[in-house]
Amino acid sequence: MNYSAILETLKKYDFSFFGAVIAIFFIGVINLYSATQASDQLSHSNLFKIQLFYFLISMAIALTISFVQTKNYFRYGYFIYGVNVFLLILVLTLGKIGMGAQRWLVLGPISFQPSEFMKISIVLALGRWFTKTDPHLVLGFKELIIPAIITFIPMILIVLQPDLGTGILVGLISFMIAFYRRLRWKVIVMLGIISLIGGSVMYQYGLKEYQRKRIIAFVNPDADAKGSGYNAIQSKIAIGSGEFLGKGYKKSTQASLQYLPENHTDFIFSIFNEEHGFFGSLVLISLYIVLFYRFIWLAQAVTKIFDSILAVGLMSIFFWHTFINMGMVMGLMPIVGVPLPLLSYGGTSLLTFMICCGVATSISNSRNFF
Amino acid sequence: MFGEEDIVKSHKSRADVITNIILVSFAIILARLWYLQIYMGEAYRRYSLENSLRKETVMAPRGMIFSRNNELMVHNVPRFDVIIVPQYLKTPKETVEMLAQRIEVPAAEIFQKLNRAKREQASYIPVVIKKNLSRKEVALIETENSYMPGVSVSTFITREYSDEFIGSHMLGYISKLDKQGKKKVKEYDEFQYIGVAGIEKVFDKHLKGDNGFEFVEVDALGRKRRYLKSDLLLDDIQNRPAVPGLNIRLTIDRDLQLAAYEALEGKVGSVVALDVTNGEILAIISRPSYNPSIFSRQLTSDYWSILSKDENEPLYDRAIQDHYPPGSTFKTITALAALEEGIVDENTEVRCNGYFQLGRKTFHCWKKHGHGVVNIYKAIRESCDVYFYKIGTKIDIDVLAKYAKMLGFGNKTGISLPRETRGLIPTKDWKLKKNAVPWQLGETLLTAIGQSYVLATPLQLTVAYAAIANNGRLVKPVLIKEIFSNAGDIVQQGNIEISPEKIFSDKTLKIVREGLFQVVNNPNGTAWWYRGKGINMSGKTGTSQVVRFSSDKIFNKCEDNEYKLRHHAVFAAYAPSDNPKIAVGVVVEHGCHGSSAGAPVATAIISKYLEKYYPELREKYLKEDNKMLAAHWSRKKAQAAEEAKKNDEE
Repeated sequence: MNYSAILETLKKYDFSFFGAVIAIFFIGVINLYSATQASDQLSHSNLFKIQLFYFLISMAIALTISFVQTKNYFRYGYFIYGVNVFLLILVLTLGKIGMGAQRWLVLGPISFQPSEFMKISIVLALGRWFTKTDPHLVLGFKELIIPAIITFIPMILIVLQPDLGTGILVGLISFMIAFYRRLRWKVIVMLGIISLIGGSVMYQYGLKEYQRKRIIAFVNPDADAKGSGYNAIQSKIAIGSGEFLGKGYKKSTQASLQYLPENHTDFIFSIFNEEHGFFGSLVLISLYIVLFYRFIWLAQAVTKIFDSILAVGLMSIFFWHTFINMGMVMGLMPIVGVPLPLLSYGGTSLLTFMICCGVATSISNSRNFF
Repeated sequence: MFGEEDIVKSHKSRADVITNIILVSFAIILARLWYLQIYMGEAYRRYSLENSLRKETVMAPRGMIFSRNNELMVHNVPRFDVIIVPQYLKTPKETVEMLAQRIEVPAAEIFQKLNRAKREQASYIPVVIKKNLSRKEVALIETENSYMPGVSVSTFITREYSDEFIGSHMLGYISKLDKQGKKKVKEYDEFQYIGVAGIEKVFDKHLKGDNGFEFVEVDALGRKRRYLKSDLLLDDIQNRPAVPGLNIRLTIDRDLQLAAYEALEGKVGSVVALDVTNGEILAIISRPSYNPSIFSRQLTSDYWSILSKDENEPLYDRAIQDHYPPGSTFKTITALAALEEGIVDENTEVRCNGYFQLGRKTFHCWKKHGHGVVNIYKAIRESCDVYFYKIGTKIDIDVLAKYAKMLGFGNKTGISLPRETRGLIPTKDWKLKKNAVPWQLGETLLTAIGQSYVLATPLQLTVAYAAIANNGRLVKPVLIKEIFSNAGDIVQQGNIEISPEKIFSDKTLKIVREGLFQVVNNPNGTAWWYRGKGINMSGKTGTSQVVRFSSDKIFNKCEDNEYKLRHHAVFAAYAPSDNPKIAVGVVVEHGCHGSSAGAPVATAIISKYLEKYYPELREKYLKEDNKMLAAHWSRKKAQAAEEAKKNDEE
């Protein structure tokens, strides 16, 4: 490829996704630095470097992916899904040996959580299914049978790990894709009512007190050990004490005193709020909204329904993580251990979001140069 | 047919709905942030700055330990420590000096402690300044608390062992988990106490209970208080109450324990007493001993180093962790095996000239000039070595080992105490493996009298004699009667194990038991002079050689030797002889004679036991004893008179 061709490619290349993601990531890594430096635990002080390292790897992978033609996603959609389901089964059978580490698969020096990648695989598989079925159809119950099977197989495997949080996320991602693919409103309302009534009846009457406690322990095994309300209230204190402008960078007191045990992963948003206040959050949330908006824009800018569904699916991965994580750290939802995209520490999670970004970029690019 | 682009466009309305969902979702997030950061922000800011919410561990009271008669043996007593929370120390110099005066600790020392803590831990973690405050010191600090911000008195529970030195090996002690220890035992909280020896260790899971926690609000000076708006903040907090540990009722009798302890006063050794009918241990004492209460108080490491430097090793439980050659007490087992195998019977007679020749080797009897003609009764009664050497020439060592093992020798008894040793019963295989040399006949001879390689713990010895007393049924020694909760629910019963089949025939047992009876109750018996009164005891004396003496010294008086070279005294007994209830095994290190050093310990325990549980039997035996003694003395007198008459006539 000569110089002008590279220039041409660069002109057509959609940098918007990477731009937004990099902006959010750098806010995240700076925040991570503060959260981990303040900690008494020395082992945490290098985490931001590791996160940067993960980022470079993820970025390389995502950039490569951004040059993949979208028809390949279609072609290999089911294959990727199948491999991922197989990996989940592997986790359940092999992962059992290492106590409490059932979420991880270890391949030599690399260890990763197949449940994280399942979020993308499910988008590919459902995208392909919904493209193959009559795209004019407005979806009813009957049309949901196969997508439900596609969703429930990995979902159950993930819940069995046990990781209810990720399981629910997979369900929500599928739901948003079905919703976008014009699921009848009537069906949506019915589904809502059924799950609401079914869930609460089960919880209230179908279970005895000790079983309920077990479920809570199942959702979050650490809950009782650390005192179920403890993380929640410390997180609220961290967020609330930030007030409008925050205490300032590296001035978090909650993190330094180990009041928030998971301050670099699930509770990273609390530290961000403590240091940067309501104003900081406003900026951060705006960046997220810009990113989400870009996905929605992409869903309508493409010419193929498969690409469109993919864009919405990828957006929903970002969206549900962001919404559930923020909701849980500020006490709107139970604590289910969902990371905040690009801010929480964690290699697999970061790679997942970067891949989403790479796929979205390749979809956008495909409008111009494939 | 639409084009594909139109299909995409037909989803625009849904895309718009999703956009709205996103906007509404983040509107909710921002509204919540507004509530937390702007509306409630000031309250939360104060909370975060003062760190006024503290999670405090509620220590679970450790289970208590009772004797078989429900007397409290181990329980918990509150203790007061003075602590400083560095975070709340507003005027360090003044406060520390003030405190130093009141608790009589140099201010420099307090500063040293604070500085060390500063390097190692966060400033909100309390630093213990002085442990075990007196009531007066507590009062002094509490009344002037407001002048000493950051100083407070914290209450701890210490473990108190009512009988202190008595039976400490069996009860064991507890120790605080340090950071390293915590890593090993996951289910324990840091700084929780853990049992490190004895019952405290083996039943730690039952005794420890589960710690709870409680969230408390404290003000800037570390004092507990409640703020306005607190309910709003604290409503989703859950406290967890502590679950007290389970209590244990032992099979131990405290009076017997005391009697055993006193009987071993000034000696190094151990004694075990158990109920022959069910294996319940009534007393188990090892001396020298230590005071486990000190371990749960301060100076743990100092006390530990004192104990571990003591050459008599007070931390060592001699009753189960040490093994000795059982000496002549093992002849009983040789006799049982020989009778059962038909090697000897009631009528077999052996002539003892004071030695036994095997090839070129001479085996001495303890009695230099010999016992004369000896049958099985006399052999046991007077502990004739030659008789048993003779058996040794006829019995296969593996057969003898088989019988010894049936009586529990050479294996752990399975008592619920840590670090029991298994002793040793030699066999041909064992020796070949160990030394790569085949077994020698001479070694069988020595094994037959309880020397050479045989090793047994005092507990094993007692268990074996208990089996003889219990008509040949082996019992497993047990220490636990029951484990129960504070509410009185019995969680676990001690499981009694008695072998369903008799190990020996009644005929064999009858002969051996008659022999053992004569040891104590025949004027020629080796324990006659130390038989005690009114206890109807049977038993066997033994001495176990510490070093082998050359033949010129072999008949020297044991007491003339250097202390460390003297024989160990061994004595095993049971009582009453006609209907045995209690068996006792004693080992007194360097005690020289099983009779003079060992037997009095056993008689003290058995007397106490019969007095306490069978007073009517005790009275009966006392009367019988007096009658028997009177007859004995009149016989002696008559003999003397006759001899005098004879002399006169001459």
